[in-house]
Amino acid sequence: MTTKNWTPELLSPAGSLEKLKVAVLYGADAVYLGGQKFGLRQASDNFTAHELKEGVEFAHAHGSLVYVVLNSFLHDKDLEELPEFLALLSELSVDAVIVSDLGVITEIQKHSNLVVHLSTQASCLNVESAKLWKKMGVTRIVLGREVTIAEAKKIKQETGLEIEMFVHGSMCMAFSGNCVISNYTQGRDSNRGGCAHSCRFEYSIDFDKEKNEEAKKAFFMSSKDLEGIRMLTEFIEAGIDSLKVEGRNKSHYYAGTVSKVYSQALAYYKEHGNFLSDDLIRWEEELRKISHRDYTTGSLDHHADESSIYNQRESDENEYVVSGVILEVKENEHILLEVRSAFHPGETLEIMPFKGRVIPHTVATVKTIADVDVPKSKPGSVVKVPYVAGAEQFNIIRKRVMMEAQV
Amino acid sequence: MKFITYADNLAQLTALNDLVVAKNFDKTNIEVIVGTSALSRYSETSLGDLEVMIAANQKFQLPLVLEWDVLAQETLFQKNAELIARLPLHEFKAIRVQDPGALNLVKEKYSWLKVQLILENGNHNYAGLTRWSEFLGEQLDRLVLSNELSREHLRNYATELKSGLEVLVYGRILLFYSPRLLLSPLKKEEIEKTLANKNIEAFGTSEESPHAGFPLIENRHGTFMFNVKDLYLLDHLEELKSLKLAAVRFDLRFDESFKHLDKMMDLYMGTIAHESVSDIRANHARPMIKGFYNINKTDVLFTKLKNKRIQRLDDNYIGEIVDVERDQQIALVVKSKTLSIKLGDEIQLVTPEGKTKTIGLKSLLNTSKVAKTQASTNEIVLIPFISGVVAKTQVYLLSTSGSDEAGKSLKTP
Repeated sequence: MTTKNWTPELLSPAGSLEKLKVAVLYGADAVYLGGQKFGLRQASDNFTAHELKEGVEFAHAHGSLVYVVLNSFLHDKDLEELPEFLALLSELSVDAVIVSDLGVITEIQKHSNLVVHLSTQASCLNVESAKLWKKMGVTRIVLGREVTIAEAKKIKQETGLEIEMFVHGSMCMAFSGNCVISNYTQGRDSNRGGCAHSCRFEYSIDFDKEKNEEAKKAFFMSSKDLEGIRMLTEFIEAGIDSLKVEGRNKSHYYAGTVSKVYSQALAYYKEHGNFLSDDLIRWEEELRKISHRDYTTGSLDHHADESSIYNQRESDENEYVVSGVILEVKENEHILLEVRSAFHPGETLEIMPFKGRVIPHTVATVKTIADVDVPKSKPGSVVKVPYVAGAEQFNIIRKRVMMEAQV
Repeated sequence: MKFITYADNLAQLTALNDLVVAKNFDKTNIEVIVGTSALSRYSETSLGDLEVMIAANQKFQLPLVLEWDVLAQETLFQKNAELIARLPLHEFKAIRVQDPGALNLVKEKYSWLKVQLILENGNHNYAGLTRWSEFLGEQLDRLVLSNELSREHLRNYATELKSGLEVLVYGRILLFYSPRLLLSPLKKEEIEKTLANKNIEAFGTSEESPHAGFPLIENRHGTFMFNVKDLYLLDHLEELKSLKLAAVRFDLRFDESFKHLDKMMDLYMGTIAHESVSDIRANHARPMIKGFYNINKTDVLFTKLKNKRIQRLDDNYIGEIVDVERDQQIALVVKSKTLSIKLGDEIQLVTPEGKTKTIGLKSLLNTSKVAKTQASTNEIVLIPFISGVVAKTQVYLLSTSGSDEAGKSLKTP
């Protein structure tokens, strides 16, 4: 009999119903998502009530949990609409809600029996803070990204609370919940989902106006992205309950890739009790194939320093692009895919299966839904390519753009 | 309504006391916030200097409030907690905290010490303010409210809440607080030589923002960015008094603003009219604003952040058009788990632009072009081309064939 090793929950973002399915199918143990209100991603598709029902059913059927974000700093008028949504969440048996505001927690406790997780937006940073939130009725804390794993371990040991930490994705430079730049400069409440990402702008920094010194130009408030794959052993040894991936606004490809890489790594640990896998390099390579800023381990090991600043203009240049998402597979006939970026007959695409290595697929033909051959697929359209074994609905198909340049 | 301000060193505390004495200012109506560089966000006061101020206040007898407003990760928090334990806390009328950890520690260990709870980041609802107030009970001195609350909200809270409330009426508006050191990497050597243990100050301007000259501070606690315009509500003091706020705060720590203290005290006491302090605003280093005092509409733009027409409605939803081949076919993904479509059904299509088309289903093909009579969840079917329909068009069932009962009424966006 094999003894399985304990591993934390992998919690992935679900910005839409399709992304939820992608994240779950690629290995997420749990997903977090937002309804049309009360979350911090107003520009995301988010979930209607019907989509939420379908999403919860889908996730639960696949053994994954669903957490719903209610982590805006809600005003009184927002709270008036909350009880109806709470009733829906209770009816759908969501597994927890993620909240940052004490008023919201109070309303949830008044109107439902939903399990409450404290959002990172509340910037819980220390043992005493965790003790206070425990008194307020939360059962899990999503710690501020400024906390080290060693500090998190202490918080868990001294409070007995479940602890969730970010393992991957973009990071706020500010203490979460302590940035209102958008409120005053763009008229959009950053703590109710309107963040304009002013921290990613380039600034001229003037240290001494009187000396007429030349200002220093810098992206001084922009943070590198978090990557914690090399810290998984520390997370596990600290007993961190849940590892969270940031990115509800990000693509299907991102949700799928990050869920797959981390779930594979955790599955390996579960089986072997270590990460001494030849695949470690490959996992890291995969994380470099998705759109990202330079990676950092942030504050996971020690409090983030100068090396965590991303002092560069953001770029969309990537080694890989997403060619499409598979909508349907007709065995021995064709694959129907929704095109995200153009490709030609004769090009080699890579199908990302839910488990295991990518499947190279040189597409001999590209046809429209009306079975008309086309010389190039059109982004936003649906095309048929020849069938290949191993492909499944919701698999992501990508293309290495470097290859195109070399041809 | 109390007059709250800061003293960052002995000279300021002495000057403040001199004014209090000269104006015969009622000392029960004033509070002086003092801090140290270890516990306060912007203070440059050493522990020794704080002790000197406390000693001097034995004579002044001004109500001093200790500021502990930094946020701290566990390791740093423990150091701060040790420092707090060494301070003569009985010399302070109250302690001001924002970090819930600091709050919990004070509640557990120093239950005799009054707390002024800083709720300036969020806390924009009555339920939350009430809960914080109840949590502290008798230990609560007052709640320090957010600058984002409008006059209307302040009025409601002051009326409905039992606890005292405080707002800022003059001073910088903090926009951003990071624990990371963001300025010193830009000027490392020079800063190390000249500004050790002092706040590093600068101004930031971005071409991507219409605003220029954001004041910046970096110190051991991290980096702080302030709004390009400072808060000015001096012309609303009488109104704030009438709202029955417990205290108003005058933050004169920056830009040599401390020199305005004399006039502000006169204005507060009602011995001069607002017109007499017009030079304060006129000579200020930056523009001054009322912030959200009149109204806060920072959620009205949210509706423009996405196209609601491409969201599915819940009633009678069938699915979405994913591709259109002009004059040939349209591909429809059936997404509904409860409704299916069949030949003869009447469907309505709502385009992303909001146009609607209604058709009867006369043909259904699967993607291999095989005729079908019906399609249910997860299936992709081809239906005849309809002019004006594009990808992301949402599809709803209007009525079903083979039944006298029409479908449920459609809710259009």
